[in-house]
Amino acid sequence: MRRYGSAVLLLLTGGAVLRISLFGDLYLRYVQAALRPYLVVSGSLLILLGVAAAVRGMSHRDHQEAQAQEHEEEEEEGHSHSHGPRIAWLLTLPALALLLFPPPALGSYSASREQARLAAQGVGTFPPLPAGKVLDISVAQYSSRAVYDTGHSLKGRTVRMTGFVTHGSNGTWYVTRLVVTCCAADATTSKVEIRGTEADDAPQTDTWVAVTGTWLPKGKLGTDGAWPPLLDATTVTQVKQPADPYEKR
Amino acid sequence: MQNERTVVDGLRLAVRAMVYAVLGGAALTAIATVVSVLGPMLAIDLYTPPVAAWWTVFTAVAVQGVPFLLLGTVVSAAIGAFVPEQVFTRLLPRNQALAVPIAGAAGVVLPGCECASVPVASSLMRRGVAPAAALAFLLSAPAINPVVLVATSIAFPGQPKMVLGRLVASLATAVVMGWLWARFGREEWLRLPKGTRTTHSTAGVQAFVAGLQHDFLHAGGFLVLGAAAAATFNIAVPRSILDIFTGSSWLSLLLLALLAVVLCVCSEADAFVAASLSGFSPAAKLAFMVVGPMVDLKLIALQAGTFGRSFALRFSSTTWLVAVASSTLVGWWLL
Repeated sequence: MRRYGSAVLLLLTGGAVLRISLFGDLYLRYVQAALRPYLVVSGSLLILLGVAAAVRGMSHRDHQEAQAQEHEEEEEEGHSHSHGPRIAWLLTLPALALLLFPPPALGSYSASREQARLAAQGVGTFPPLPAGKVLDISVAQYSSRAVYDTGHSLKGRTVRMTGFVTHGSNGTWYVTRLVVTCCAADATTSKVEIRGTEADDAPQTDTWVAVTGTWLPKGKLGTDGAWPPLLDATTVTQVKQPADPYEKR
Repeated sequence: MQNERTVVDGLRLAVRAMVYAVLGGAALTAIATVVSVLGPMLAIDLYTPPVAAWWTVFTAVAVQGVPFLLLGTVVSAAIGAFVPEQVFTRLLPRNQALAVPIAGAAGVVLPGCECASVPVASSLMRRGVAPAAALAFLLSAPAINPVVLVATSIAFPGQPKMVLGRLVASLATAVVMGWLWARFGREEWLRLPKGTRTTHSTAGVQAFVAGLQHDFLHAGGFLVLGAAAAATFNIAVPRSILDIFTGSSWLSLLLLALLAVVLCVCSEADAFVAASLSGFSPAAKLAFMVVGPMVDLKLIALQAGTFGRSFALRFSSTTWLVAVASSTLVGWWLL
């Protein structure tokens, strides 16, 4: 194991990175979509390095057997290469986690820890929304238009949002989505309170739903009173968790 | 005769590789079977939502760090294997007081987050660059590269002063730290990375590959350590603590500067996190963005691994103070 230590570590790490980026969409639970090519390249490079380390470990041993005594010094040096630094064994933790039990996407627990609040950028007008009967819109986009748009671009539009369910006090419930910029460590929350007769029997926490409805104005624009925004729901359907569980900024 | 020998050697190598693959594969399958049978029983009890969130944030920080760390180690191994000893000493002025700002401004060229800059700085030192200049580069590279500045301008639309403030305050911190090291730094605090590694007979490509493997594994271990610390704080520190301090602008600046250390948000994303911290003064947000790429738990772990623990603690704490001071000054002047 000593001789092949770094080979094993490099292959494990590379394999884990490739497993989540090349063979599936799992990487979207952890990092943003644009990182994929870099992950694939890094994973492949790590595999190559691991193979190189394994080959060197093997040929080194042959070399040793052939000329056992003369090259003890070189062997010392060779070892400092091939059984990498001890701290490197920590890499097995995330690598095995990704290979065996990939951790789930962040959900209601993370959303509840953080007060959902948008950047206070002040009120203003927004670019016009695309035409169409039912408008697919992100939870973050809906929230910022509902709270900050002096042009009321949501007025009279039927919108559809996808997110997971979180519960507030007094039976209120929200469609919630986390926004990730770089990796899951920087996740921020946006949420929309669901009202209307359809909203009466609230789905369970962390269920993924697609909600169609119209905007219910509330509070004065740009103040805490306008938060969280409301949606008068006409249909609530359960859906599968989307491949990318987070919204982009 | 010679030919026969290499063929036999090759065959032996192939057979051995196959035996190892079969044995290793069997062992792995056995482990995987046991784990997948016993694992779920244990896991159901232990896998509460906070634990699950910890694992997700932990792997996320590690996964997102891997490409940048690899970029950094590729650059540093290339410097170690292919760039002749004299190049940097000739490029940089001999006078350290002059070399520091030049090295700091050169940070613009490394488009990565902070994981990439530690191995590069250490290989620069191995190649004879004065530590003061290499440290200025280490601090400025993740903070002032174009990717980070563009991200900042997107996060703060219509506030070009925020981008300018970040550039000025970060560069000032890096240069001041370089000068401080040139004046007060002691060689014995800095456990320079083993320079002997590339001196033996292997050179060129072989040295490059060996350096790459070693540097990546070494730094990767510390990245995992830092990721664990970041995930722990990310889950343990309630965000509502932020609301207590928004009242006092002084306290809030210090609080955000501390938050930058424990959250370990990568420098390409920290502008968005800063922008989402509503209720804080612009100077406090600036401090968050200046401190973040220079001092955080992940970075302290990486530096401790590369330059030694006593260096990492001294250097990081001083950098934190300088960064807070410089963002206070710049914030008061610009924002």
